[in-house]
Amino acid sequence: MSRIVVVTSGKGGVGKTTTSAAFATGLALKGYKTAVIDFDVGLRNLDLIMGCERRVVYDFINVISGEANIKQALIKDKRSDNLFILPASQTRDKDSLTQEGVEQVLKDLSEDGFDFIICDSPAGIERGAALAMHFADDAIIVTNPEVSSVRDSDRILGLLQSRTLKAERGESIREHLLITRYSPTRVASGDMLAMEDILEILAVPLIGVIPESGSVLQASNSGVPVILDKESTAGQAYDDFVRRFLGETVPHRFLEVEKKGLFKRLFGG
Amino acid sequence: MKDQIIDLKGEMSLLTVLVLYSTDMHAIGAALEAKGQQASHFLERSPIILDCQLLGEAGLALDFVELKLQVSKLGFVPVGLRNLWVDAEAKALEAGWALLRPSKQQPVANTPAVTEVNLTPVSPEAVQRLLVLDRPVRSGQQVYCPQGDIVVLQHTSAGSELLAGGSVHVYGALRGRVLAGVQGDTQARIFCERLEAELIAIAGRYRLLDEIESNLKGQSVMIYLDQEKLKIVPI
Repeated sequence: MSRIVVVTSGKGGVGKTTTSAAFATGLALKGYKTAVIDFDVGLRNLDLIMGCERRVVYDFINVISGEANIKQALIKDKRSDNLFILPASQTRDKDSLTQEGVEQVLKDLSEDGFDFIICDSPAGIERGAALAMHFADDAIIVTNPEVSSVRDSDRILGLLQSRTLKAERGESIREHLLITRYSPTRVASGDMLAMEDILEILAVPLIGVIPESGSVLQASNSGVPVILDKESTAGQAYDDFVRRFLGETVPHRFLEVEKKGLFKRLFGG
Repeated sequence: MKDQIIDLKGEMSLLTVLVLYSTDMHAIGAALEAKGQQASHFLERSPIILDCQLLGEAGLALDFVELKLQVSKLGFVPVGLRNLWVDAEAKALEAGWALLRPSKQQPVANTPAVTEVNLTPVSPEAVQRLLVLDRPVRSGQQVYCPQGDIVVLQHTSAGSELLAGGSVHVYGALRGRVLAGVQGDTQARIFCERLEAELIAIAGRYRLLDEIESNLKGQSVMIYLDQEKLKIVPI
């Protein structure tokens, strides 16, 4: 049985796709056979961030509508033999997604021996987002330290508890909160919500805090998941997050304003 | 307008609908009686509409005088018939029935005809007196307990809504909207550990948090109705 994990947020632009790419890559590098599915039909992005946009032949919708089989559509990652990407269709819209179709694809992947299936949810709470979460065992709720993002995440948590297969069966999805674009400096100056405030409002276990970092944008533009950038704080924080997801106890880092040492003060940093 | 004696208004009201599956008066009588024993208090003097959609042409065979008698005997006040076969309408009018326009929510035609009579309201035993929630009530969630109290063991979020016929207790921060006594119960009260609500209401009298004295925000409070005014007191 594969473990199905949805990466969701409600609000757009908070880092779902960046997280999905980093998360799937991290799991694959740790030896787990992982598939990552782009549910954002019509606004395909995951393939760009994974750096495989020129290798898309068939997509998720082709598989659902029977025009291709899952093996034809899965793109093998260049960097890891364990990682496969199922891209979204850019020309169709989210109405092409059907519950039966999604269920069949997840079943096929599960039978194919995948350990993890990561569902990269689109923003919003409509069909695409609803289907991305429907069959999930775990949910990573991506939130920015900002009031509207926290409110939308709260809404999504409500839907996870009521509209998913697990909820219909009277079970519950494991929820994990991931705070992204966290800037301790701006928290200290009062521009951003502090981690404690977010936890107080959402009351969900925290699985990671990804610091605001220029390397995320750089990584996206060059099609390399940021987790592979071992030098960057964001890359390290994503690695911590993956390890925590796999059950390790890893202390949270990058929560305090970094004190600049003499060297940094002299030469910048 | 003091001289006015009456006023005729079109209005939508909630009524019980009795869906007929059979024209057999004996069977209908027996089935009604059985329902009556289950739920006598609930049905007493409640107005009722009879829906003949599923009968189709067989509606012609109905004994309308007897039908009225059977329904009244059980304590219902018969209001009228709807979805009756056109040719049977004259006979129904003659027996003193009113004919109603068909509702938009028509019963599904393929409902299995297992029982003879199908009554919509639940029996009194099934009325929920207490609803206990052990998870946070999230933004966008609405919790409704029409006849009873709601107890939340966690917080409620901004953008959530609690609606209770009775009182509401929140053992955590109360951040959303909360409406107690929604059926008009002025005795209903609201209790919470931390008042950060957007809106509070009891029996239709409401207040926004903006209007609430700031020294009560974030406090443990009880809210109740004193005459026409919502009172908030620390506990």
